[in-house]
Order: sequence, then C-alpha cells, then structure tokens
Amino acid sequence: MSMAVTQTPKKSSRVLRYIGFVAMPLLVVVWSLIDLSLGKELVEWIPYLASGFSMNILITICAVTLGTTAGVVLGLMQLAPFWFVRLPAQIYVQIFRNAPALVLIFATTYIFPFEIVMFGNYLPFPDWVKAVIGLAILSSAYIAEITRGAVLSIPTTQWEATKGLGFSRLQALRFVILPQCVRRSLPPWMNVASSMAMGTSLASLVGVHELMHAATDASTAVRRLDFTIIAYVVVMAAFFTLCYPIARLTRRLEQRFNAG
Amino acid sequence: MQDMNLTGLFIDLMSRLGLNYEFLATGYEAQVWRDGFITTLYLVAITIPVSLVFGLIFAACLTSGRLWLSAPVRGFVELTRNTPTLVQLMFSFLVLNTVVSNMVGGAQNNPLSPFFWVVAVVGLHVAALHAEAIRGGIEAVPSSMIEAARGMGFSQFEILRYVQIPLAFRSSLPAIVNGLISLVKSTTVGNAIAVSEITYASIMVWTQRDNVVEMMIVLLAFFSLINFVVARIGQWVERRLAIPGYGL
Repeated sequence: MSMAVTQTPKKSSRVLRYIGFVAMPLLVVVWSLIDLSLGKELVEWIPYLASGFSMNILITICAVTLGTTAGVVLGLMQLAPFWFVRLPAQIYVQIFRNAPALVLIFATTYIFPFEIVMFGNYLPFPDWVKAVIGLAILSSAYIAEITRGAVLSIPTTQWEATKGLGFSRLQALRFVILPQCVRRSLPPWMNVASSMAMGTSLASLVGVHELMHAATDASTAVRRLDFTIIAYVVVMAAFFTLCYPIARLTRRLEQRFNAG
Repeated sequence: MQDMNLTGLFIDLMSRLGLNYEFLATGYEAQVWRDGFITTLYLVAITIPVSLVFGLIFAACLTSGRLWLSAPVRGFVELTRNTPTLVQLMFSFLVLNTVVSNMVGGAQNNPLSPFFWVVAVVGLHVAALHAEAIRGGIEAVPSSMIEAARGMGFSQFEILRYVQIPLAFRSSLPAIVNGLISLVKSTTVGNAIAVSEITYASIMVWTQRDNVVEMMIVLLAFFSLINFVVARIGQWVERRLAIPGYGL
C-alpha cells in the first residue's frame, strides 16, 4: 500500500522534471512571439548575449580543469605520511574552502598585474584569466576535500591487501585506490563543476565581458522595462539549461551508486 | 588614549612586516570598515533564521503529497538551485524592485531597500538547499513510525510537527550547517547592489590605499572565523539534540 502511495507523485513529478529541461527557453520564445516588437529586439541582441555566454563556458572549463588537477594533488597531499607535505595542503584547503567566491575573484583581479613582462615583451594578463584563477583556487579546495573523502572511504583492508601483493604505497594508490575513487567522487565533482559554472557570473562584477555583463549592457542600451525582464530571464534560462541537466545526472548517478 | 596607542602599535608592527594598515588611524575609512563588519554580521544573523523558516515550509510542501503544493515549490527549488545567486539578485533588484516602485508610485515611496533584497534572495536560495536536505530527512523517517502516530490519532499536520520534523531536523543537520556556511559566503553578493557589507567596505578602502593583500588577509580570516563559529554551533546543536540509539 505504501508503494502505491509513493509511486503516484513520482510519475507526475517525472513529467515535471522533463518539462524542466525546456521550460525556461520555451518561456522566452513564447513571450517574444506574443510581443513581436520585443522579440525583434531580443533577436538583435542574441548574438551579443551568446558571445557573453561563451565566455562563461570558457571560464568554467578552464577553472574546473585547473581546479581538478590542483585539487587532486592537494587532496593526496593531505593524506601524505609526512607533516611538511600534509600541513600546507591542510591550511590551504581550510582557508580557501571557507572563502566566498566573490572575494577570491576580487583578490586575483586586483593582486595580479594587468600585464606581465616576459623576456622584455609585455604580455597582457586579461581579467577573465584572473577570474579563472580565482575560481580554480576555490574549486581546488573543494575538490581536495572530495578526493580526500573518497580515498578515506576505501576500506583499509584494500590497502593491506595491496601491501600483501607487494605494491608500494604509490602503486597501490595508482592502480587500486584511485580508480575506485573516480567513481565515488564523480557526483560531488559534478556538483562543484555546476557551482563553478554559476560562479562565473560573479566575474561580471570585475568587468569581464560575460553573460550577466552582456545582459546589463543590452538592457541599458534598449531602455525598456519588458526588455530588461526578458534579458535577465534569458540569462537565467541559459544558466538553468546548462546546470539543470548536470544536477539531474548527478542525482541519477548518486542513486545508482547507492544502489550498486 | 589607550586605544589610539594600541592601534598605532599595530600599524607600526604590521608596517615592519611590510603590510599597510595605515587607514586604521584615520577616522572615516576605519569607521566605514568597522561598519562593514557589523553589516555582514547583521546580514548573516537575519538571513539564517529566514532561510531556516522557509526551508522548513518548502520541505513540508515538498513532502505533502499534494501536487498543487509540491509542484510550484519543486519548480522554485530547482530554479534557485540551478541559477547563480548574483543573477537572481540582479533580477530581483532591477526587475521586481522596479515593479514594486511602479506599484507604490515612485522609487521614493518604495520601502524595500537593497538590504531587504539581499536577505530575501540569499535567504530563499539557501532555503532551497535546506528544503532538499530536510526533505531527505523526512522521507527517511521509517513508515512504521508514521503509521504508529496515525494509529494514535495524530492528524497529518501533527505527524509533521511532532514526528517527522524533529527526526528529519536531526538527520539533516550536517547538510543544513553546510547550507549555512554557503549562506555566509553568499552574503558577499550584496556588494553588487551597494549593500555596504565587508567586501564593499574593503573595496572602498583599497581603492584609496592600494592595500589589496592586507585587506584580503583580513577578509579571508573574517570569513574563516564566521564559518568556524557556525560549524561549531552546528556541532553543539547536533550533540545537544542527539537521541541515543537513533541516527548516526
């Protein structure tokens, strides 16, 4: 009986979940079709907004790649048997895990110079690279914790077994422990990736040309309240259609791993 | 007088380490900066209860089993979880605030301040995180316990109030504390709409003094401290509420 009770809301909510993938873009399309003058204005601005969003995606990919690389190394350093390896990693993770993303983006933007002198050449150091570094620092601290948690979640008997088979500590890590960690840390890693994608909008506050910035530009140029509304709805729709599928997939993976 | 000497000593000590905290000796900048700390703490202190209350309401709606209650809340939760807080804040401030202003007839009559919008947006954003955690806790309450309560004549609301929420709150407390920590960090978005919290105040100081590194050290230490306190209070509550033999 309780099965029947839990089954009914599941089915209808599944329909709602699929609607979630297309709801926001659909709203934008329907609204611009109803009010054609607004739609025409929006179509003109879409390429500009899209160029902004491509910057968001670029920052996300770079920050997550950098953050993952650094984070895995830091996570393993936290588990090292030597205190002079362990301690710096622990301090780094503790400080930056508690730092707001915005503060880190401001820090990297204002601390780094706007150009670097390299062999007598002036190389520009663009703002978006600084935002990448800021977000990478944050994600590396999160991913270090995820890596550490994943390694610790592997039963100690497996370490003992590898020792019995004559593996060194690093070999055991490389061939036995880490492959299992990849599977376990995938859902939380995807959470971090999607929150980094959302964090890229903060870069607009330091003047990076990204989607938020583009929307603000567009709404100040057009000066219509309904266009302002639809411009921000487009921003939300873009982030939502990027992050919602990731969130769904994460939940799906979590359920499957818990069952398996 | 004693206080001035201490400040002077601190500035002197720090400048020997190569750190520039000279603005502390000035009246105005130091005042703005101190107010920034207070505004942030005030923001956090108000937003935490808001997020908890709405988190409970959302979770109750999500688990009510009535589609007209759960579907809108589910939609809201998914929307807030999957869009950036900054975008939500700008949308609320630029769109909803303008609509409210038009309704009451001009911006000068609008009672809603930027501070209100930060509390509302960040509070509801984190409430969505809480709602998911508490919902998980409510669903984890064994069905035999609910049947027993129903057998004793509890109504649906009484079951929620006396059985499900007390147990769900305990099991979801670690997730709630994580949510509160992200709340503390999210309050910094307020500087996008000129709420003079600590990040905003620090920017004011470093544009004048060019001492970004020094301000960053203080900022990071401050946020680490608040989060440490929040996490400690969470642990304390968890220990206080622990029922022997139930949960972890």
